[in-house]
Amino acid sequence: MSELSQSRTAVAAPRRSSGLFGIDLASPKHANKLGYLLLAPAALLILAILVYPMLLAIDISFHDVKFATLSFGASEYTLANYQKLFSSPDFWNAIRVTGQLLLVVTTISMAVGMGTALLVNQQFRGRSFARMLIALPWAIPEVVAVVTWVWILDASFGVLNWILIKIGLVGGPVSWFSSPGTAFSAVTMVMVWKGYPFISIMILAGLQSIPEEYYQAAKVDGANVFQRFFWVTIPCIAPVLGVTLILTVLWVFRDFSIIYVLTGGGPVGATETLAIMTYEEAFNFFRMGYASSIGVVTLIICAVISAFLVKKTSHAIY
Amino acid sequence: MNRTLPQSILLYTTLVVVICILLFPVYWMVITSLAPSNALRSFPPQFWPQNPQWQTYTNLIFNTDMPRWLMNSALVAVVATGISMLVSVLAAYSLSRYTMKGGEAVGLFILMSKMLPATMLIIPLFGIFRNLGLMGSLWSLIIAHATAIVPFATWMLKGYFDSIPQELEQAAQVDGCTPWGALFRVILPVSAPGLAATALYGFVLSWADYLYARTFLANAAGNWTANVGIATFKGEYQTDWNVIMAASLLAALPIMIAYLFLQRYLVGGLTAGAGK
Repeated sequence: MSELSQSRTAVAAPRRSSGLFGIDLASPKHANKLGYLLLAPAALLILAILVYPMLLAIDISFHDVKFATLSFGASEYTLANYQKLFSSPDFWNAIRVTGQLLLVVTTISMAVGMGTALLVNQQFRGRSFARMLIALPWAIPEVVAVVTWVWILDASFGVLNWILIKIGLVGGPVSWFSSPGTAFSAVTMVMVWKGYPFISIMILAGLQSIPEEYYQAAKVDGANVFQRFFWVTIPCIAPVLGVTLILTVLWVFRDFSIIYVLTGGGPVGATETLAIMTYEEAFNFFRMGYASSIGVVTLIICAVISAFLVKKTSHAIY
Repeated sequence: MNRTLPQSILLYTTLVVVICILLFPVYWMVITSLAPSNALRSFPPQFWPQNPQWQTYTNLIFNTDMPRWLMNSALVAVVATGISMLVSVLAAYSLSRYTMKGGEAVGLFILMSKMLPATMLIIPLFGIFRNLGLMGSLWSLIIAHATAIVPFATWMLKGYFDSIPQELEQAAQVDGCTPWGALFRVILPVSAPGLAATALYGFVLSWADYLYARTFLANAAGNWTANVGIATFKGEYQTDWNVIMAASLLAALPIMIAYLFLQRYLVGGLTAGAGK
């Protein structure tokens, strides 16, 4: 393909060759130079604001770095941060909380996302309006969503407590943020509400790419609604589902704002994920080295999970 | 598709119920912001404001720092998105059209960087910005937001450019365009929806940020963004929920409006980036 395009460019180029820095970028000899030139600004920027800080963070995690000294090779290399981390009950608690949240939030928001996508994929009047409304929470900033939910969940005058009492689900007002179980539920609710629209948008796009003939063929063969869903819909959108799952998992794993503003990780660490723990150690206790080591572990877990999911989902496709 | 009447009724009922439940928090935000403050401490709650209190909004706009915070949010989002788009468009085009040594590695790193936890990245950034004297300045935020927008925008735009046939540039070059000219006069106009969707997403990423803003701007109240302001409101005016909800709605409005206009392109853009 590239050979073809190069030979075509060769025919086309000599007409007008303005060139940059005196190099005729249109000529096939220099065609790749333009490619590098176009890539250079982004590569340099990424080097400066992503690669360098990342290496610095990894370096810091091997040092006993407090707030005041934050530069390369400040002191001797040490494994103390990692030793402390793996023997800390707080760390294992954060791992457990993160895992639970991952499982619960991902499952529920994938279900809601799938359900809403299937619903607005039907043909009906006002469909595009319904599609717009269904994914609207996507456009609400996380902090705004959290503050709104804090009001809805308010123990004394929150509307959710009023509804729950009215229906008879609970005897008296629930104080959502004071016990571990209800605080975890509150975090789950807000995360699902913020997370499902993206999933819905992605799955809907996947559904739209399935040719109608597949369903007609399945109908001719006598497949009912559920059989059509499991044997036509799911296999067709498997790649989209895979990507969506990975992105959702990564989001839950690393999200900071929702939990931090909602519960601050409490009560008694019940909602303290690895992300919250990293931030608390760094900016409340100013243990930058220790915090970085938690960050590095988070990064490794994220990479492993994504690699595993990529493998799994690519199996599901074939 | 042919549906019987009961089926239609069932479909519409389901739709209305589902949308009402899912959008209730948005509705509640609007209703609360218009309620008089004494009505907020009454049971049963008012589901429709008998006399809407518009002065909550005028108060917020004329007597608090909210407008300034909104301006800061907008400024940071526009500059961060602008700079990111500039470098991302070129990089995405390069990755889409040229086969270079190392090009694949750059592409892969960009994808990998989506996995970097922001709570880890913020530690070295904090040190760097402090050494550079950028702490408290909006530039710290602009740079930090670019770390998220550049990789995302490059990847999304690459997907978009991949879907444009190469014959288009070749035709332009046969007609006498330089490679630059082909990019700026042919490819970019054709990918306008993709560019708009990517820029919108970048704007949303920046506007929604709380982590970087609260850390870098903690001691510079004048430079706060809307999100930092609202999170602080939550602590300060613990019972004035009408004020907090009005401020929240103002902070959500720009993104909601952008979403309404660009929704269909956004869906296309997200999938273009995801199909790879």
